[in-house]
Amino acid sequence: MATEPATDFSFERPATYEEEARREGAHGVSPWRLALRRLKRNRVALAFGFLFIVVVGLCLAAPLWANGPAHTDPFKNHLTETIVLDGKKTNVVSLEGTPIGPTWKGRFFLGADTNGRDTAVRLLYGGRNSLLIGCAAALITACLSVLLGTLAGFVRGFTDTVISRTLDVIWAFPVILLGVALGTALSLQGLELGPVKVGADSKLIPILIISVVYVPYMARPIRGQVLALREKEFVEAARAQGANPLRIMVSEILPNLSSTAIVFVPLLVANAILLEAALGFLGVGVKPPEPSWGTMIGDGVKHILSGPHLAIVPGLMLVTTVLALNVFGDGVRDAFDPRATVRVEH
Amino acid sequence: MGKFGRRAVVLLVACLSLFVIAACGDDDDDGGGGGGGGGGQTGGEISIGTVGPDNADPVLWQTLQAVQAFAPAYVPLMTYAHEEGSAGAKVIPGLAEEVPEPTNGGKTYAFMLRKGLKYSDGSPVKASDFENTIKRLLKLGAAWSGFFTGIEGAADFTEKGDFSADIPGIETDDKTGKIKVTLVQPDTKILYALAEPYAAPTPAAKSPAKSLKQPPPGVGPYTLEVVDFSRKWVLKKNPNFPDIPDIPKANFDTINIDVSDNVTKLTQDVISGTLDFMTEDPTGDQLPEVREKYPERIKEEPNPPNTYYFFLNVTLPPFDKQEAREAVNYALDSNALVRVFGGRLQPSCNFLPPQLVGYKELDCKYGDPSKPGDIDKAKELVKQSGYEGQDVTVWTNNKDPRPAIADYYRDVLNQIGFKADIKTLDQQVYFEQVGLKRNKAQTGFTDWFQDYPHPGDFFEPLLSSEALKAEVTFNEGFVSDPFIDKKLEELRGKTPEESADEWAELDDYVINKKAYVAVYGGEKSTSFFSERMDAENCAGIHPVWKNDWLQFCKKG
Repeated sequence: MATEPATDFSFERPATYEEEARREGAHGVSPWRLALRRLKRNRVALAFGFLFIVVVGLCLAAPLWANGPAHTDPFKNHLTETIVLDGKKTNVVSLEGTPIGPTWKGRFFLGADTNGRDTAVRLLYGGRNSLLIGCAAALITACLSVLLGTLAGFVRGFTDTVISRTLDVIWAFPVILLGVALGTALSLQGLELGPVKVGADSKLIPILIISVVYVPYMARPIRGQVLALREKEFVEAARAQGANPLRIMVSEILPNLSSTAIVFVPLLVANAILLEAALGFLGVGVKPPEPSWGTMIGDGVKHILSGPHLAIVPGLMLVTTVLALNVFGDGVRDAFDPRATVRVEH
Repeated sequence: MGKFGRRAVVLLVACLSLFVIAACGDDDDDGGGGGGGGGGQTGGEISIGTVGPDNADPVLWQTLQAVQAFAPAYVPLMTYAHEEGSAGAKVIPGLAEEVPEPTNGGKTYAFMLRKGLKYSDGSPVKASDFENTIKRLLKLGAAWSGFFTGIEGAADFTEKGDFSADIPGIETDDKTGKIKVTLVQPDTKILYALAEPYAAPTPAAKSPAKSLKQPPPGVGPYTLEVVDFSRKWVLKKNPNFPDIPDIPKANFDTINIDVSDNVTKLTQDVISGTLDFMTEDPTGDQLPEVREKYPERIKEEPNPPNTYYFFLNVTLPPFDKQEAREAVNYALDSNALVRVFGGRLQPSCNFLPPQLVGYKELDCKYGDPSKPGDIDKAKELVKQSGYEGQDVTVWTNNKDPRPAIADYYRDVLNQIGFKADIKTLDQQVYFEQVGLKRNKAQTGFTDWFQDYPHPGDFFEPLLSSEALKAEVTFNEGFVSDPFIDKKLEELRGKTPEESADEWAELDDYVINKKAYVAVYGGEKSTSFFSERMDAENCAGIHPVWKNDWLQFCKKG
C-alpha cells in the first residue's frame, strides 16, 4: 500500500479522434462508434466482460437458488440439523463446531459455515451486496470526482486550492486505514449530517466510505484534463460567444470528459469491490448478518484448516469478479483512449 | 578386577553418592510446602507461552494471563488453596498466620503477619506495607480497587486523592506485625479480595519499582522479572521464600514466560515442545486437531467459573414483559450453542456456575438445558406478551465466537415472533456501551468470569440496584428488584458456606421466577501441555487463577 499518489494519469489528448480515425481508416466515424469498434475487436476484454455479466447474473438469481434447490435463506442457522449424504445422516455442524463441506447437491452445495448457514446461498447474496456496494460507490466516486475535478480545474484560484488540498489530505491516508478508521467511527451511531441520518447498519455507510476515499484518485486526473481543456480553442470560442462559466462547463468541458470517466468506472468498480472486501474482512464493512464476500472470507479464515471452503469459495468469486472487471476495464481504456494508461492504485 | 575395573567401581560409587546427595538436596528444597504438584520431576526450567500480562505493577493487572504470572510471586495475607477443582476456592492463610474470624459485628478482621518474612530482595515485610498496597490500589484507580471501598475511610481517601492521608479502617503495627481492617458494614467478600495477588504487600519504598516496567519485590516461591515487556518475562526461584504451610515451593529454577499474540504459533510451539504450556486456548481451528492427536496433553474444564447469558433489558420493550423473557429462555437450544463454541460450552440453566458454593442444579422450568428448546411454547408466550413483530436489536462484539452466538440468537428471536437484527461493536468498547443506559441496548451477548469464588461476585455486579449507580453498569438488563436487593443485603455478612441454600434460592428466583436473564452455560477453557509435562497429575487447574503454575511438574 503506497501513501504516494500512484495513479498514472497521463492523458495525452492532443492526438485528435480525427487523427486516430484516419490512422484506422475510419474517417468520419464518431468517436463513440470508433471506440466501440475497437472494443469489439478486443476478444479477451469482451470475454472477461461477459464473465462479469455471468457473475452479476448468478448473484441476481440468488433467490431462485435459495428458494429452490437450497431450501433456505442466507440468514437461517441450521446448527443442529442433519442431512442425508450417501444414505448416511450427517451433522450440518459437528458437535466440535466443524461445518459440513461441499455436498455438490442442492442443499449445502458449497457446504455450510460455522452457524450452519448455506455457503452457496450466502455466496450469491453476498455477491449482491459486494456488487451493489462496489457499483454504487464507483458511481458516486465518479460523479463527485467529475464535479470536483471540473470545478477545481475550470474555476481555479481559491476554489482549486481548497478542493486540491482537501483531496491531498484524503490521499495522504492509506486507503484501507482510512476506510477502517471511518468504518469504526461510524459503526456505533451511524452518520448524521443535518437532516440526513444513515443508520450504523446501513449499507450506505460502506458505500459512502469507499466513495470518499477514492475521489482523489479520479478527481485529480480529471482536474488535470480540465486545466488543459479550458485553454482549448472551442472553449475560447464559447467564451467569446458570451457563454457563462456554468454553460461552458456543462456544454463544452463535460462532454470531453465522458470518455475518461467511462474508462475509470470499471476500474473503480473493481477497486471498490476489493476495498469493500478488505473492510468486510476487517469487520467494518457490511454488518452481520448480511453477507458479503469480504465478511465471508474474514469469517472463513478463522477456520481455514477445518473448513477451507469457507474462505476459498468467496475468495475465488472475488478474484474472478475483480479480474474480469480489470481486464474488461483495460479493454475499455484501450478502446476509448489507446494512449492513456489509467490505473487506480493505492 | 583390573586397574580399569577398579576405577570404574570408584566412579560408580562416586556417582551414586552424588545422586543421593542431590536427591537429599531436592527433598530439602521441596520440603515445607504442601498442596499442589503431582510429585513429578522438578528443577530446571520450563517455558510458558502467553499473549502476555497486561501490566508489570501487581496492583494494576486485569487479565487472567497476568494473575497466573503474578500469583507465584506475590502471596497476599490470605491466599487460595493450591488444589485443583472446588478445593482451590478455599481461602487459606498466606502471609498472615491464620484466617481471622470477624469481630465487631462482622466488620473487623485482625491479621497477624508471620514472623521473619522477607521480600525477594531480602528486605523485611512490614505491616504498613499492606496499607501502602491498598492505598496504591485506591489511588491508582486500579480495576480491583472497588473491592476495597468498603473499608472504613477508603471512599474518602479515594475522593481526596491525597496519598499521604491515612485510611482509618486499616490499622497496622510494624513492631508486632498486626493488621486490623475495619469495614463500613459486614461483608465476607473482603477475605476473598484480600486473597488475590493485587492485595499482596510489596515494600513501600520500592512500590512502584524504579522502572514502571519492572515489578516490585514480593513474597512468593518465585521472583517475577520483566526482560522485555512485550516479549519475555521470567519467574526465578526465590531463595528468600520461607516455609509456609500449604503453599508449595518452586518446582522449577526458572519459568520463562514467552509473550506472543499469535495464538496459532503458541499452539504449534506447545505441540512441538518449544513451549511447555500456553495460557491461551488453541484457536477454534486448531482445537479439533489438538483434541484428536494429543488427548492426553489437553484438559478442558469450565474454569475459572463463568456464566454465559443474554441480558434482557427489563426497562425496554419487549423484555419489560416476563412472558417475552420467558419465551427467550424456552427457545434457546444449548446444543446449537455448544457447536458455536466448538464443543467448549457446558450447558446450564443456573445463573451461578457449578463450581461455586451456593450452586444447586435448578429444576429448570424451561426444560433440560442440554435438550432442544421449545419454540412453540416460546411463540405462544411472545403472542401473550403482545410484542409479536417487535423490533429487537441483538448487541454483540467482534470477538470470536460472539458474532456467531449473536447470529444464532437473532435467528431464534426471529423464529419465535420478533423482528431481530444485530449490532456488532468492537470488543474494546462493547461492555462500556451496553452498560450505558442512554444506548438502550435491548438484549445481547454478555458473560461473567468470577473475580473471586463468592456467589455475591455474580449477583451484586450483575443484578443489583447498587450496580446501577455506576455510569457504566454490568447490570446490562437494568434489573432493579427489591427482593434481590434485600436478599443481597442479608447475605453480605454471611459466609457462602453458611448461606449456600439462600444463594441457591436466589438463583432459582432469578431464573425460574423472573427470567431476568437467558443463561445457556459456561465456557470450558483448555490447559494444553507439552509432551514432557505431566498433564495428568500436575495440570494445576485452579478455580481462581485458571492454572496454578506452582502445581506444574514434568513427567517422571
